[in-house]
Amino acid sequence: MNSLAWLTLAPILTPLGFGLGLLWPWRRPVRVGLALTGALLTLAFALGLLFATADGTVLVGELGGWPAPFGIVMTADQLTAWVSVLGAVSALLAVWQAAADPDPVREKHHLLALMQFLFAGVQLSFLTGDLFNLFVAFEVMLVASYALAVLGSTREQLREGFRYIVMNLAASALLVVACGLSYGVLGTLNLAHLAQRSAELGPNTTVTAVGVLLLIVFAAKGALFPLGFWLPGTYPALPPAVGTFFAAVLTKVGVYALLRVFTTVFVQEAGVTNTLLLGLGTVTMLYGALGAASQREWRRILSFLVVSSVGYLAFGLGVGTVEAVRASVGYFAVSVLVTTALFSIATVAERASGSPLVRVRGMLDALPLLAGCFLLCALTVAGLPPSGGFVAKYALVRAGLAEGSPLALLAVASALLSSLITLYAMLNVWRGFFWGQHPSWLPVYRVPRPLRASAYAASALVAGLTLFAGPLFARADATAAELRDNARYIRGVLGDRPVMIPEPPTGGEVK
Amino acid sequence: METLFALLIGLLIGTGVFLLLSRSIVRVVLGLSFITYGGNLAILTVAGLREDAPPLLTLRGPYADPLPQALILTAIVIGFATTALVLTVALRAYQVAGHDDVEAFGDSLARDPDAQLDMAADPEHQGPDRPDPAEAQVFVLAAVPRVRLPEDGP
Repeated sequence: MNSLAWLTLAPILTPLGFGLGLLWPWRRPVRVGLALTGALLTLAFALGLLFATADGTVLVGELGGWPAPFGIVMTADQLTAWVSVLGAVSALLAVWQAAADPDPVREKHHLLALMQFLFAGVQLSFLTGDLFNLFVAFEVMLVASYALAVLGSTREQLREGFRYIVMNLAASALLVVACGLSYGVLGTLNLAHLAQRSAELGPNTTVTAVGVLLLIVFAAKGALFPLGFWLPGTYPALPPAVGTFFAAVLTKVGVYALLRVFTTVFVQEAGVTNTLLLGLGTVTMLYGALGAASQREWRRILSFLVVSSVGYLAFGLGVGTVEAVRASVGYFAVSVLVTTALFSIATVAERASGSPLVRVRGMLDALPLLAGCFLLCALTVAGLPPSGGFVAKYALVRAGLAEGSPLALLAVASALLSSLITLYAMLNVWRGFFWGQHPSWLPVYRVPRPLRASAYAASALVAGLTLFAGPLFARADATAAELRDNARYIRGVLGDRPVMIPEPPTGGEVK
Repeated sequence: METLFALLIGLLIGTGVFLLLSRSIVRVVLGLSFITYGGNLAILTVAGLREDAPPLLTLRGPYADPLPQALILTAIVIGFATTALVLTVALRAYQVAGHDDVEAFGDSLARDPDAQLDMAADPEHQGPDRPDPAEAQVFVLAAVPRVRLPEDGP
């Protein structure tokens, strides 16, 4: 359909190919080189997608040459390209961290290859244009993540990993049922065709019920409040490099699916799902922030912040106006980058102090640059003025106030309150880890320079969010405008003419 | 026919949820399988049940819809793989935990209180722990306060 259609497959096949290549027992420098090349190439292709879709074209890659509603298609519009780039950036930083921090046992058991498979699964779930293929993509991603979650088999990993696996398998089973039901009601699984059919059908309670079912599934994947109980236990148990990518991107895949499905496909009776999202988001924000304030270990605090950020995204999505969706898309970028940076900082901090606890005191003298990076990320995650986080949260709050319904106002109050609590939690970390006098009997370990550099690079990206907030939000604006008008996506995927069911082949074998 | 299938699906998923809530690994895995198969039957049912209808266009119609069957096939394959994976994780947990009390896996992979320290079911396959602090380089952060000794003599 388009000369650039191959670009929709490139970010998926690249990590897949490099992952397969990494299964061969190369020497470590070769393996690390391959993994870094794979992540870099993925990022390059994702950037290519970003430029190719910048003018509003919808790229469609048809697998096996079957046209849209009949075959599986890969689609990329502005939102897809946007999240694909963010995923690839986070993947690159995670590989960098894994390369800088040798872990012989896990690497012998294909840590780097599994990470590439995970990247492939994530990109596949971003780029797919088909509901059932979304299920398959989730499974590709999750099988890799299950393996990574228990790789190394420490007690904590096995306990938390098992919980994570069972939770996600149950959610996947529900997703299969939801796929089946939406096929039964609407007779198709292609997202664009689903949107078209559901628009033809008009407001319909059965379709809304299927939408709510999908909402539950994606809420489980994205760790919205009652279904996110597994997250704060699982993420701290992961090996550092893997934990960085999990925290930054895996929950956001669920949020992306929510964005895609509830702005493009099931828009006929948006009130029900939006109210649900708004309610869940309100609770999730507060739950995450309070959880973060209650914890005393680096990764546990940060894991609760991940939960909180999903709440903010659900809030923006639940308000549902163009302005709110724009704020959500902007906050998506802020959240992915700042989570990557904070988890990288946590890796360095844990290595330097030799303890997962934040109550070490006085590390400011040993790691002044890291302290600066942490301060920047803390301001971003709490949403204080000189940071990209402030711009995103301000946009969210303004969208909520503009909507003005009681639930939206409640959500705004919750957003402000949880920002305050997040700030308190971050100050606790600052006071506990960086501030004060270092006890002379506590050792400070030397952290490898490349590992420190990965944390600095991630923080530099967060600083970039602040400096380039203008272009960022211009981009988010364009994306939100495109999402409001789903006709362009539908036309881009299905073409201008009405979908015709091809004539069955006549003659030949038919008796 | 559809009503019967709906009841069957409800029964399968209900059994699955019941088993999922128990503390034994094998029951959890069985429960997940029940839920998966309930889901598969749901796909088959919502797409319309037909007797004697071939899914191939080259045979005499009316035709059954082949797509749900393709979906179910995919779902079965994925379900098979994930079940194998869960069982592997369960086996690994048993090796590391060092006791065969399956119920202890439910909420904590706790050590058997009666077992000896550092005993594992499979000592060959211990997990790697955090990097050994003894190997890390230590450098003194702050200057050690110098203790002034009283000078002797006049």
